[in-house]
Amino acid sequence: MTKVYVGMSGGVDSSLTAALLVEQGYSVTGVYMKNWTQDLPGMRCPWADDLADAKRVAVHLGIDFKVFDFENEYRQKVVDYMIDEYRAGRTPNPDIMCNQEVKFKLFLEAALEDGADLIATGHYARVADGQLLQAVDTNKDQTYFLYRVTKKALEKTLFPLGEFTKPEVREMAAARGLITARKKDSQGICFVGQIGIREFLSQYVEQKAGDIIDAQTGKVLGRHDGAIFYTLGQRHGLDIGGGLPYYVVGKDMDKNEVYVTTNLNDEALWRNDVMLHSLHWISGDAPAEGEYMVRVRHRAKLTPVTLTFGEDGLVTLHFKDAERAVAAGQSLVMYDGERCLGGGIVA
Amino acid sequence: MEQTVIYLDYAAATPVDPKVHAAMLPFFSDMFYNPSAPYSPALEVRRIYEDAKNQIAHAIGGRGDDIVVTAGATESIALAFGSVDGHVVTANIEHHAVLAAAAHKTEATLVAANEKGLVSAESVRAAIRPDTQLVSIALANNELGTIQPLRDIAEVVKKERMRRLDAGDHTPIYLHSDASQGVGQIDVNVARLGVDMLTLNASKAYGPKQVGILWAAPMVQVRPLVFGGGQERGLRSGTENVPGVVGFAVAMQRATKHRKSETERLAKLRNTMQRALTEAFPEAIISGHEKSRLAGHLHISFPNLDAERVLFSLESKGVLVATGSACAANKGTRSHVLTAIGLAPEVADGSLRITLGKLSTDETITRATELIIETVQAEYNRKAA
Repeated sequence: MTKVYVGMSGGVDSSLTAALLVEQGYSVTGVYMKNWTQDLPGMRCPWADDLADAKRVAVHLGIDFKVFDFENEYRQKVVDYMIDEYRAGRTPNPDIMCNQEVKFKLFLEAALEDGADLIATGHYARVADGQLLQAVDTNKDQTYFLYRVTKKALEKTLFPLGEFTKPEVREMAAARGLITARKKDSQGICFVGQIGIREFLSQYVEQKAGDIIDAQTGKVLGRHDGAIFYTLGQRHGLDIGGGLPYYVVGKDMDKNEVYVTTNLNDEALWRNDVMLHSLHWISGDAPAEGEYMVRVRHRAKLTPVTLTFGEDGLVTLHFKDAERAVAAGQSLVMYDGERCLGGGIVA
Repeated sequence: MEQTVIYLDYAAATPVDPKVHAAMLPFFSDMFYNPSAPYSPALEVRRIYEDAKNQIAHAIGGRGDDIVVTAGATESIALAFGSVDGHVVTANIEHHAVLAAAAHKTEATLVAANEKGLVSAESVRAAIRPDTQLVSIALANNELGTIQPLRDIAEVVKKERMRRLDAGDHTPIYLHSDASQGVGQIDVNVARLGVDMLTLNASKAYGPKQVGILWAAPMVQVRPLVFGGGQERGLRSGTENVPGVVGFAVAMQRATKHRKSETERLAKLRNTMQRALTEAFPEAIISGHEKSRLAGHLHISFPNLDAERVLFSLESKGVLVATGSACAANKGTRSHVLTAIGLAPEVADGSLRITLGKLSTDETITRATELIIETVQAEYNRKAA
């Protein structure tokens, strides 16, 4: 019997994933990945409850259940990476790093080492012949987070939920008596939890007052508590009273300055050409130059672009219609029809 | 999915007794007055509050004036530890509330319990130093149910006090005991126990949560942790929890009244279950002291089994048990108590804490025993497959 290790987070998606694989005749082992267990006073990370829920479902299904401890690796590869990126003034995506470094690398390796033939997760995505395809539920599709996974890893991976919509998944979970059937979806990055990125970062980064400057006139409009907390295109939290709303159009991390404008059409906010570095192509080969669809963030609508290669191996994407607030550090993910090709990080 | 629940975790929480509940109700509505207010309905509430405190005190053989009402045992313990300086002595199997309070003192010695979870008076004597000001040993261990030889320990503390007085040394030394687990199952009379401070918790005695007391002998200088309006003789400011204390008083009265018959009843039920489980699984290990153990307490380990799986499986069948102390279980770490008494990891991890109480009957215990046997057997079978 084929042995599948399912990453179980204690949520409805991974619970149903395990249940479906049991029904499909696999020998299933549930694995909870212990990634972040820091309990700061006043900050509640619900990992212990999630672990218990994952285990409850495993017991309900009568399958083996294990805990893989990736706390140190996760801290280094995902949390430190995220904090460093913000410190450098960029906008990283820790979920993408988590998939690349933890779920489809460490977990895969540990599972195979432990005797698994395949791994599975509750991601909304599909795999066919080592290619990553969008989920049937295009509203829920999670391939954006998976673009840095290798073909080799995908060949060892099952995504049973790729064929279903989220409401179907909840219904199927309820029909099977899974206690997680009605559990609320986790919001955002698990370790940031309920508190939000700003509060999270402020535990690691000292607040430092700096100027908020009008990008056009150079006039100082007010003060902020640290450029690290501001992202391109951000409207709120500038604490500048009155008049038209201001938007962040840039920042200088060395000078700790944030540049803003009231001009919604400011060219710093809108870009037609975006350079990508740290490219990752799932098949291992770069696609040919030409027209593709791109997604600039999870659940953003697919937008047409023309892809060209520069001499330095970097990729330039030309948007037919200018795209708003594409920030350095953000991932852009390319699609050819329903196939996710890979992508890169905005320079 | 409604099913009858068989609750077997009375050491974690007890349901509020209907008589306790009824006694509390008027103080949420008609008699809501602040006991410190000057008009006569408030004075009536004040009188009832003081009466209730006296009743609690009488149940432990103390005076109402020597009781400080707190928001539960954890606060009472903190109050006791906060009232001394210098070195403290406690045991390695104590509740987290005690261990954490000890860790906040400049110096603490943790006495090792033996394999039955018993803390000997001799080991306490050996740990006492000239600068020791507090010895804190729970009356009964919350995981194993083992009842400590508190009277013997009290003798040791008294001897040290006398030795100091003879030597002209006025460094105080007190014996504190967290008796949260004992109420209703053992004698909690402060004179007979020989303690100088006693912590009690209403929520383990069919009373409300977040209500506790610290009883302290008049010679103890209790130092407040919470300041303000000077309630509780200035030792615990904050408007009095009138319904909580009224409820606690009724709970204490009932605990005292029914203690003998209830203890006998629970011990019989517990022994029946223990016999059935050890017959079905001869490899099972019972922890705690055979004789000196709370009547409703059964700590049983099924070697090489994952007790949490058994817990979740039983939960789905309507039987609620614990795998260890509730707090430790939530953190997913092995119980410090089981490690302290030398249980091997593969035994400790297969441990269930089954605690019986008021609503346990012949019928529910028989049914629960069947379900536990069925579930444990299924887990052993699954592992063997």
